[in-house]
Amino acid sequence: MKTILVIFRKELKDTLRDRRTLVSMLIIPLVLIPLLMGISSRIMFSQIEKAKARVLTVGLMRNRNAEEFRTMLLKDPRVRVLDDLPLDSARARFEADSLDAYFAFAPDFDRMVDSLGSGEVAMYFKSTEQRDIETGRAKAMLTTYEDSLRARRLRSLHLSASLLEPVVVREVNVASAKEKIAEVIGGFLPYLFIIFCFMGSMYPAIDLAAGEKERGTLETLLTSPASKMEILLGKVGVVILTGITTAAVALIGMYLGIVQVRELPPELLKTVMDILQVRSIVLLLSLLLPLTILFSGVLLSLSIVARSYKEAQSIISPAIIVVIIPAFIGLMPGISLDSATALVPILNVSLATKAIISDTVTPWLLAEVYLSSLVLAGLSLFMCSRIFEHESTLFRGT
Amino acid sequence: MIVVADLWKTFKRDRQQLKEQPMNRAPVEAVAGLNLTCRPGRVFSLLGPNGAGKTTTLRMIATLLKPTSGTITVAGIDATTHPREVRSKIGFLTGSTRLYERLTPEEVVRYYADLHNVAPAKFKQRRDELFSLLGIEEFAQRRIGKLSTGMRQKVSIARTMIHDPEVIIFDEPTVGLDVITARHILDLIRSCRSQGKTVLFSTHVMGEVSLLSDDLAIMHNGKLCYSGTYEAFRASMQSPSLEEEFIRRVQEVAA
Repeated sequence: MKTILVIFRKELKDTLRDRRTLVSMLIIPLVLIPLLMGISSRIMFSQIEKAKARVLTVGLMRNRNAEEFRTMLLKDPRVRVLDDLPLDSARARFEADSLDAYFAFAPDFDRMVDSLGSGEVAMYFKSTEQRDIETGRAKAMLTTYEDSLRARRLRSLHLSASLLEPVVVREVNVASAKEKIAEVIGGFLPYLFIIFCFMGSMYPAIDLAAGEKERGTLETLLTSPASKMEILLGKVGVVILTGITTAAVALIGMYLGIVQVRELPPELLKTVMDILQVRSIVLLLSLLLPLTILFSGVLLSLSIVARSYKEAQSIISPAIIVVIIPAFIGLMPGISLDSATALVPILNVSLATKAIISDTVTPWLLAEVYLSSLVLAGLSLFMCSRIFEHESTLFRGT
Repeated sequence: MIVVADLWKTFKRDRQQLKEQPMNRAPVEAVAGLNLTCRPGRVFSLLGPNGAGKTTTLRMIATLLKPTSGTITVAGIDATTHPREVRSKIGFLTGSTRLYERLTPEEVVRYYADLHNVAPAKFKQRRDELFSLLGIEEFAQRRIGKLSTGMRQKVSIARTMIHDPEVIIFDEPTVGLDVITARHILDLIRSCRSQGKTVLFSTHVMGEVSLLSDDLAIMHNGKLCYSGTYEAFRASMQSPSLEEEFIRRVQEVAA
């Protein structure tokens, strides 16, 4: 045990002096996450505000109908009306991004409405993500107009508005605030966690195995009385510590990112703070521990097989896809933690994190996640120790 | 003392070798029936062309590789059954030895002292002796990455010697070093001999052999071509120089 500690201390010191590790462990999660969250939320909120306040350009082809709709539009200071605009001109304006919506009323629109029939109006718009808010505003104008026509029609017939609403649906979402938040950020949080945990383990694993082999220091270390298992455990300890630390720092980075978003509703912020309690954080990190051991075992195995630092990088970099895919599946709606998904590595941690955040996790499923993760972590360490024992692997290329 | 008896090491053919000779699947005999005895207070030089099996032999003695068959005894301990104990008795220095660039000489030497379980008082005494002898003190707190090749080699020597090993193995220790730095290594080998340590030394440089050797062995294709004292070797020479005699003996076996 003493030898393992000696190796662990040295490897940790060496790793913490490596600029690449420091960048991936501290700078990226602690600086880049808050910065990106801050910038993206600022841009997003300012775009929303801009889209809401922007003067909409609306083209009309009324065919001498719907005067009331036109008047309604003209009263709105955030709407500019282009009267009697031909469809071809409207299309050209859509192309040039100088028109937000175009309404073409059928020649018999007023007559149909007056005879209690349905008047036809075609609404043209350009559906893109950037113009969603403007399109929504234009649709809302038409809905307001339709509501006013309906109300007038019912009044003329001396009928109550409830006649058209035989059923009034009152939707009550019984999900707790935590569950609602879990739906929104529950998938994203473990996704981020797992990726950072992997990235935090990656550089030390490459440096401590392939790097040491390439630099020729591994051969010297192997001539010391330390056994291969002690050397491996010392290295594994450092890789696990950096992986967990990176994930924890990413959590701090996310917290800093969230609190700086001033536009966030206070109740949402309060719920996020409720989630970030010591108990939840400890539970999340404890879930990450076996996963980080699994990462360490796999990464060190791949790294020790490589002849050089560069070769290890080229072997390990594509492996991030193997991590991203199950973590990404955890983001998908409808996928939840059950006795089957609890056995799938990475996905189980992602879904269990979601369940912890929403406070819906059951002890049995959590135990299944821990157990399956620990078994896999053990297997990865076993595989790594077998590879580390292999003479041809250790002295490959030397 | 190192005693090697009927030592064999075979390797599976790698992909490249199988590509070159697809019909030949027999394992490669890197070392074939080697017998050596290195005595305390004497320098044993192991010579041989590239691929002769010198490094494989030294790695087996240092317990880095397991022999296919045969026995190795280092300081009276069986290297195959008690590798850890053997490693605590040896110091291993190779020409390709590198150091941890992000650590200081002080940290590297302390690390190896800790791995060898050197007591604090003994460490201080050994560290002071070696640092003063090799002139490491002035750069002891500087990162290795910032040191010159000569300075690094001095640190490597201190790292090898910190636990005061009984047996020291040098695998081409002067490769790529300038004359002054190489001289430090040769001085160290002489000093080890005068302290009664067992020194096993592999080299390509014939000048070093004539300067240091008490005993020598020549290897070719995993087998010994010669083994005996340096004086006996000189007396039996049929060529005018050491170098030519070495080539003659290797070619004789190869033919």
